Amino acid sequence: MLAAVLAGCATQSVDISSLPAATPAADNAAAAESRTELAAAVASEGSETAGENGATPPPRLTPADAPSMYTYDPWERLNRFTYRFNARFDAAVFLPAANGYRRLPSPLRSGVHNFFGNLSELSTMINDTLQWRLARGVRSFGRFLVNSTIGIGGLIDVAKHIRLPSAPTGFSDTLGTWGVHPGPYVVLPLFGPSTLRDTIGLAGDIGTRYGINLFDLYRGPFWKTGTLDVADAVDERANTAFRYYATGSPFEYDDIRFLYVRKRLLEDTGLHRHAQPKRPAPGAEAGQ
Amino acid sequence: MHPCPRAFRLLLILSSVVGAAAASAAAFATAGPAGALPQTAGPATGLADSAALRATVFGTPPEDMAPLPARVPLTEIDLKLPWANPVPAVFWFDKKLRVWLSAQQTPAPLAIVIAGTGGDGNTTKLATLRAALYGAGYHVLTLPSPTFPGFIVSASRTGVAGDLRQDGADLYSAMQTIVAHLPRRVQITDIDVLGYSLGGAEAAVVKAIDAREGKLHIHRAVMINPPVSLFTSIGRLDRLFALSIGTGDAGIERLYRQLYAELANLYRASDRVELDEDFLLGAAAVVLKTDAEFSSAIALSFRLDLVNMFFAGDLYAGTGVVVDPQHPPHVGDPLEKIEMTLRAMPFSEYFARVFAPYYLAHRANSTAKSLIAENRLDIIGDALHGDPDYYAQTNSDDLILDKPELNWLEHTLGDRIVVYDHGGHLGNLGDRSQIADMLAMLGGRWHRPAP
Repeated sequence: MLAAVLAGCATQSVDISSLPAATPAADNAAAAESRTELAAAVASEGSETAGENGATPPPRLTPADAPSMYTYDPWERLNRFTYRFNARFDAAVFLPAANGYRRLPSPLRSGVHNFFGNLSELSTMINDTLQWRLARGVRSFGRFLVNSTIGIGGLIDVAKHIRLPSAPTGFSDTLGTWGVHPGPYVVLPLFGPSTLRDTIGLAGDIGTRYGINLFDLYRGPFWKTGTLDVADAVDERANTAFRYYATGSPFEYDDIRFLYVRKRLLEDTGLHRHAQPKRPAPGAEAGQ
Repeated sequence: MHPCPRAFRLLLILSSVVGAAAASAAAFATAGPAGALPQTAGPATGLADSAALRATVFGTPPEDMAPLPARVPLTEIDLKLPWANPVPAVFWFDKKLRVWLSAQQTPAPLAIVIAGTGGDGNTTKLATLRAALYGAGYHVLTLPSPTFPGFIVSASRTGVAGDLRQDGADLYSAMQTIVAHLPRRVQITDIDVLGYSLGGAEAAVVKAIDAREGKLHIHRAVMINPPVSLFTSIGRLDRLFALSIGTGDAGIERLYRQLYAELANLYRASDRVELDEDFLLGAAAVVLKTDAEFSSAIALSFRLDLVNMFFAGDLYAGTGVVVDPQHPPHVGDPLEKIEMTLRAMPFSEYFARVFAPYYLAHRANSTAKSLIAENRLDIIGDALHGDPDYYAQTNSDDLILDKPELNWLEHTLGDRIVVYDHGGHLGNLGDRSQIADMLAMLGGRWHRPAP
């Protein structure tokens, strides 16, 4: 692996690498379709939530409730080092693998993607229950049942088409519901941006998966569990349209940190949907 | 196992919502259900009208797009250019110039396309142009803007971007190296250059340099929404920033807090679990309402591009605005404070504190006034006027041009310019008539329709 990483840094004067072909016509058709769906969703959003929550809309956040623009990052040097390692590893290993995978026929790829999505439904259900969102937990379990049977072991997301869309959640959200703060920003090797709470959540999710050991997939000889993890990782990478340093910017670390932590904090405001927003202490950095 | 959290992609979209590059994204504002976007009457900034601002932010709606091919092959080419300056430690990832090639199987003309300010060689707009050109039978090579940090580090001789002639010369050298290193199976019958926004002006300058040096034999050049005077156009965007966001850090923080609160309220009101792509796309259409908000998005997007160019220029020129020339930052050093400082600085600061000091020292007999004058398309005015192979496409409501500048373009190019009524700045890039006219111009078949 080390050799592969180093090879990625070798400096020849010209590198030519062939990428999976672009599909502009299909992309544009998809954009047109999602635009129509979005228009419908935005139009129905207001009325739907008003009906569900009865007369008490969630308290509104004001600009003063927004967290600081600065992020709590006490381990910045180590994090930057890890970010750089991730960038190199991605260029040398993950990205070439994902690009190879993207050449496979699209039904095959979506089968793989749905399969791994289906495996995580039970852990989603457990966390929904721990977050006391029972309706969601039932929905997740329903998705699992439908997709595992009619969807041929999870290869096809049938549930989506009968108005049971996926709503993944994990142990970090559960901790958030219980009032645990995100804590400092962390960049994990291979996994990328995280916070201390998200890291613990990730460990919890992996543990849950191992504990449930669905279809006996997660225990046994290394070749079996290893192949599964690699396939999951490559599929995930191929579905993530991010490329390290495509921005060309030395501030990319700062920008990603800013966006990642703000995204997670915004999601936390949804966990405490009906609570009065907590105003951050003046001078506190986001995530602290 | 989640190697790179899915969050990444969504975050980039969020940033582009903030940065207004959500071209394909929330494009439904124009044709969406009535009321999805409350129409506010009258320009808030006095710089551009509502329709122009909205078109600039949302871009061409997918249903107005020109027909695009089903499949476009893509090759990435990374080159180390011999004239590049030593790479500063913090730019370790920008050692090579990265360009993209889509090659035909048979001999064909090569179209070289240059991105606009701050853009890399694979922006959404470049991808649209690439698809249209490839579909029309061209080999297509897409290049980053000379103001993109990757270009500044790997291909600039000065490290101080923004000078039309210098950037044009660097581009021209880079093009020669790239063309010489294309895979052997790519057979080129002719070379044309084009570019959008600043890239358009640069394409024309590159053709003018080639007319003198004759190394590539560039045939035609098409400018899409070019500026006429770089610094006047940028001054206009600075003013847009000051008017819509305010000056300094306080304005940016206010915008951030407002956006955060709006997104949080939308999110809490919805029944969503994850702040996913669909949510963000929908949010863009709801959060941006007034002309002032659209203006903020445009101005901020431009300002964020400027930050990298400012930082690189200050580092290379040793002007010490944010980088101590004796102690340049190392890999792993925190940079957030520098970024925040630069975000608050308008282009005029870059000109006064980095660009002018550098070029006054390196270009004999120049003054601040002459530097500004040299960054106008006038420098190739004679060629634009006399050579029938220069073309331009622009919009009458493009926010980077004023009336005299548009008149100058029309007067100089005569029949070789088309001016559309609407589209703002690049808001109609990719639509049927823009693409059809562009292809006709490149093919030498274009005739200005009778008025």
